[in-house]
Amino acid sequence: MSANLYEARNLVQRYNGREALNVPHLAIEQGEAVFLTGPNGCGKSTLLRLLAFLERPAAGVLRYAGGADGRKEATLLLQDPYLLHMSVFNNVVLGLKFRNQTANLRQTFECSMQAAGFDEPWKFADRGPYELSGGERQRVALASRLALRPKVLLLDEPTANVDAASARALAQAVKNCTADGITVVCSTHDPALLRAIDIREIKLGSSWDAEPAPLLCPSYPRR
Amino acid sequence: MDYLINGFSNAFYLLTHMDAATLSAIYATIASTCYAMAAALLLGVPLGFLLGHCSFPGKRAFRLVSDTLLAFPTVLIGLLVYAFITARGPLGEYGLLFTLPGMAIGQAVLALPIVISWTAQALEDLDPRCRETLLTLGANGRQLALYALWECRYAVGMVCVTAFGRVITEVGVAMMLGGNIRYSTRTMTTAIALETSKGDFAQGIALGLVLLLMAFMVNLALAFFKRRGRA
Repeated sequence: MSANLYEARNLVQRYNGREALNVPHLAIEQGEAVFLTGPNGCGKSTLLRLLAFLERPAAGVLRYAGGADGRKEATLLLQDPYLLHMSVFNNVVLGLKFRNQTANLRQTFECSMQAAGFDEPWKFADRGPYELSGGERQRVALASRLALRPKVLLLDEPTANVDAASARALAQAVKNCTADGITVVCSTHDPALLRAIDIREIKLGSSWDAEPAPLLCPSYPRR
Repeated sequence: MDYLINGFSNAFYLLTHMDAATLSAIYATIASTCYAMAAALLLGVPLGFLLGHCSFPGKRAFRLVSDTLLAFPTVLIGLLVYAFITARGPLGEYGLLFTLPGMAIGQAVLALPIVISWTAQALEDLDPRCRETLLTLGANGRQLALYALWECRYAVGMVCVTAFGRVITEVGVAMMLGGNIRYSTRTMTTAIALETSKGDFAQGIALGLVLLLMAFMVNLALAFFKRRGRA
């Protein structure tokens, strides 16, 4: 059995005193792919933000065993992604520049864009974010995460705001990531995405107030 | 009506024949504005960035002071800076009173709250997803700060242009600290005020036209930054 990449115990997050998330126990193995499902407001996005180390939990323990700096190895694709006011090329390779990995940027750009479902990446390279459709923006944002070759890819409702073609391309990209051994944690409401990829599903509680101890455990049956 | 027509025709004569007094006023205006803007931007943008991007004790009080100074009367700025740079003031030994750098100090004080408060506002208005995106792409603190500032570059550009427009059209500080000395510290605005009071409309109109042209260019720059910022 693989070692746990993430392990959380009694993980609690609060916003303005209101409990937004309460996870008694969660474990995600290295290379595992997980869907987070559940109604709006059940804490899927909060959990992803905690797993991406964008926030500190209000209480509890979240252990990351992947490496020294989890924030450099885990990357989150937001539900409504933000592209910086620069070209698509620069958006995609920005994370690599942050890491001073500036060799073969063009090749990385091409591969990442293709992995995100762009057949002709260079057609988009010089475009600004305002010259892209919603689905294209989502896929460019995904390409910028794939370019980092992350250990963990966290996706917050990646197909929520895109058309069917973009959703298919995104689903394929997620599928390829799981095949490449990248740990994927993806929140979704999209039944098509759930059907497209056969991975473990974790159902979060319908209301944290009503169900303070939602079912979250590593032994949850796989699909 | 004749005096107005004569004023305009004499104004064109002064401009086309490079009248020394007119050119001197234009030079004094541009020079003092450039000194003032350089100082205001060098101090104001980093301070505004700190105020908008970072959290520190006393931040709200600092912001309140900066916002209050946006409405600082220019003659009061002139008075305070005058008190500092006059011969008996703490900076009197530098002989700044009635010089272009002296005027620029007052104008910089005028521009500084605009640059600080509005740069801070530009950063506060930045889409919160920008910070999250930069963090999730692995930006460290310095990269996060630089790219956040880069993202609001058009808004900061607008701040600069607005402060420039405020400084270049200013009269009170220039009159009090510059002394309106011909061929030295007489700026376009102080010259217009003086020549109009003397009934000499020609130079006033000539300088007014140049000022109008500059205001037009400032607005053109503002429109550019607004358009790019929205894009």
